[in-house]
This record gives sequence, structure tokens and C-alpha cells, in this order.
Amino acid sequence: MRYARLCLALAAALFAAATMAAAPPPAAAPAAAPAATAAGSHFVVDPAKSSLQFTFEQAGAASTGRFPRFGVTLDFPGADPAGGRLEVTVEVAALDTGDKDRDDTLKSDDLFAVKKFPEARFSAQQIVKTASGYEAAGKLTIRGVTRDARVPFTFREAAEGGVTAGYMAGKTLVRRLDFGVGQGEWKATDQAGNDVTVSFTLRLTRAAH
Amino acid sequence: MALRNTTRRWGVIAQTFHWVIVALLIVQVTLAEMADDLPLGVRKLSLLARHKSVGITILVLVILRLAWRSANVNPPLPDNLKPYERKAARFTHVALYVLLAAMPLSGWMMSSARGFPVSWFGFFTLPDLVPKNRALYDWLMMTHHTLAWVLFAVIALHVAGALKHHFVHKDDVLKRMLPFTHH
Repeated sequence: MRYARLCLALAAALFAAATMAAAPPPAAAPAAAPAATAAGSHFVVDPAKSSLQFTFEQAGAASTGRFPRFGVTLDFPGADPAGGRLEVTVEVAALDTGDKDRDDTLKSDDLFAVKKFPEARFSAQQIVKTASGYEAAGKLTIRGVTRDARVPFTFREAAEGGVTAGYMAGKTLVRRLDFGVGQGEWKATDQAGNDVTVSFTLRLTRAAH
Repeated sequence: MALRNTTRRWGVIAQTFHWVIVALLIVQVTLAEMADDLPLGVRKLSLLARHKSVGITILVLVILRLAWRSANVNPPLPDNLKPYERKAARFTHVALYVLLAAMPLSGWMMSSARGFPVSWFGFFTLPDLVPKNRALYDWLMMTHHTLAWVLFAVIALHVAGALKHHFVHKDDVLKRMLPFTHH
């Protein structure tokens, strides 16, 4: 039938227009060569070139948000992070999922309760070498609840025009209900999943102690 | 009753497409109305997740339906129709198919623009059709709502046409889309 095909063609045209409007994802990776390390290092995060993201399941689909404001310091005594310490503080109230309604909901008392608990913290006193990099073991505090947590990460140094930079990346799984992020109706996990993946890609620079 | 269409009536498959889509449209309106006034919370997310899943189901059914339609004979309109009646019937049917596809597509794009991706009943997630963009979302939401009203209007025309065939022309145009009817 001619007009069945016409309808299909119109629907397909709409679909194609919609598909073409989708932008390709940007891809960029910093390139740097490893460099020799002096003993005893103190690194602080370079916020402009670092990101801290969280991925969660909303209504069955993965969604991503970011924490744009956070601080990281990494101290280690030898040639690499093993034996060192890692301190991370995150301004939870600055969270950004790209949707104001959702951000406001996340900041509300039943979820992050940012008025009462503006900051989340990870404090690791122990870093060990692993097969694929390092692992920081410490205390993770979110919404006033502190629990033991292990965060695996990779780390490499690069000499960049007289500055020693450190590139650190990793991800870890956090179960939001372990920290009380989800009171009342948000204790249910069918629309907002319990598992949240926190991932980070950081550029740190070596600083004086 | 035959699965395929004949020149006298719609087959079981064409009828099933028609009436399942009717039922799903009623579900869609109900879910949308229930979710509309709620604040962002678990209940709203759950209603809208179902609304999106049913919408994608309708989109797939419409595509399959058009494919089935083009692979079948279709019972023709009665010979005694005036030219403007033929035009009106044709316009209404084309508009229905286009709107049935445009509704879920605009809803899907709306979800992408909002950054709330579409999951089909939790089984799999659909790719985003457009980048996240609040202004685009606002525009698409308006479009989605406007298209819904246009769809209601065309459905009203479609129903009025069917009833006119049955009660005024006294032909079998309505009956040949009804299950369990013989002539």
C-alpha cells in the first residue's frame, strides 16, 4: 500500500532527524611520559583538569552526575603511593546531574541532606600496591555515616615543563543505603538503584609540604 | 477468521494491532495524567518509566503494523464515497500513523534532552537521541503535549468517521475492524 509506505517513510524521517541531532561524545585523554620520582611526595588536585563523577540507575536507566567541587591530597613517602595517605573532601551540595529538579531532590533531606551534611569525605591512611595499581583503604563518610571503604586506583607521574604532575584514576562502588542516602520512599531501590559507581580522573600537581 | 486481510475485512493480525494500540493509548493517557501533578519522587519516576516503556512498545507496534499493512491487501473504502470523504479518510489515516510514531519519538527525544534515559521495562536502555539540553527539553515537552492534543482530535475524527459509516451510510466499514462480527 502506497500510503503505508508514506507513513513509514515519514516516521523514519522523523527518526533519522532525531538521530542525526545527537552529538558524538567527545574523547580526550591526557598524554604524558612517566618520570623519575624523588622520595617523599605531596600532591594536590588540579581542579580544572580533574573530574569526580557518579553513575546511578534511575528508572532502570543509567544516569550520570558530577561533583564539581572537591579537594584531594595524596602524600607518599617513597617512589610511589604505596605506604602513603589519601584525603578527599567533596562538597556534596555542589552536585550536578544536569537537571535542577533532580539536583534539588538529591540535595533534599531524604537523600543527601546537604544542609546538615554539606561534605563527604574519604580518608585513607593506608595505600597498598596491587596487581593493577594501588588500593587505598580508609574511612568513607557520607551523610554523617562513616564506613570502611577500599578504593582502587592507578597512578602515574609525568614531568610537564618543570612541573611534576600525577594522574590518578579509578572507580569504586558505593551502596547509597549503607550511608542512609535514601530515607522514606527513597529506601526503595526500584526507581533509584542502591549501587552507585563513583569514578574519578584526576590531575594532581606536586606541591611543597 | 483469517489472519491476513481480505478485500472484505481486516484479518486477525491487523485487528490485533489496531485494538492493542487503542488499549495502550488509554494506558498512556492514564499514566501521563497520574504523573503530571506529582513532585519528582519515586512514584512519579515509576509512572513515567512505565509511560516511556509503553510508548516505545507503541512505536514498535506501529512500525510492525505499517509493515504488515504494506504486505497485505487492504479492504477498500466503499465505492459510494464522495471525493472529499475519500480525501478525509486518507488524511485521517495517514495523520494517525504519523502521530502514533511522532508521539513516542518526541517523548524519547524529550527524555534524552532531559538526561533521563529511556529504559524499556528495565530490560534494556535505549540510546539517547539528542544531547542533554534544557531549552530543547522544554520545546520537546511542548511539542509532545501539542501532538497529544492533535492526536486526540484526529482520533475523534476517526471515530466520528467510523460511526458515520455504520449509522449513516450503513456500510460495513466499522464492522470489518471489529472482532467477532460476521456478515
